[in-house]
Amino acid sequence: MKILSIIAGVLMGAALVYGSLDMPKWGDPHSPASTHVSPYYLQHSIEHTATPNVVTSVLADYRGYDTLGETTVVFTAGMACLFLLGKGRKRQGK
Amino acid sequence: MFEFIVNYYNYWMYIGLMMIGFYAMMAKRNLVKKIIGMNIFQSAIIFFYISTSVKKGGATVPILEYAHGHATHGIEHGANAIDVMQYANPLPHVLMLTAIVVMVATLGVALAVVILIYRRYGTLEEDEIMKLVRRG
Repeated sequence: MKILSIIAGVLMGAALVYGSLDMPKWGDPHSPASTHVSPYYLQHSIEHTATPNVVTSVLADYRGYDTLGETTVVFTAGMACLFLLGKGRKRQGK
Repeated sequence: MFEFIVNYYNYWMYIGLMMIGFYAMMAKRNLVKKIIGMNIFQSAIIFFYISTSVKKGGATVPILEYAHGHATHGIEHGANAIDVMQYANPLPHVLMLTAIVVMVATLGVALAVVILIYRRYGTLEEDEIMKLVRRG
């Protein structure tokens, strides 16, 4: 079992290293991730949201619905923990 | 060759972390160690995303300078007033904030389930639990 896990892990690592060779160089300012849509947020964040912190403006303004879903996730997890661990009332008739 | 390593070694570090987490999730018998492996795995993914937002050449955190000062008037003349190369890419940071929240949620529920398993079977070793389950 341990040997199998090591083989699976090393296979996954080898595939990922092979894939990483196609990634942009580390810290490249002209990589696709930093030239496609993020300049728009950096340039228009002030006039759209009047917030200097771009991370905050994207999190709470542009992607507000996503953050709402995120709070739903936290709420669901909290309720799940409560229901799993809480003592709760004993059922009637038992 | 040296430049090649410098350009790509960060990805290899995250792949190493990911392999450690993957191995721990599969091979470890203790349930808490499995959860630790899951956290290492998720942290590797988060590091990877954060590393895509780095811009070399003097880029800092994406907090706009002089945003509420006099320099704001420059923005009225067009969006070119903000130098994009001066700030790191904010989008991976935002996405990983969401991912961290999901990570904490999964960790909490997993630990709650582990506590219940311990209360029911009195052990966290997977093979012992399976033995107790088969016995009925």
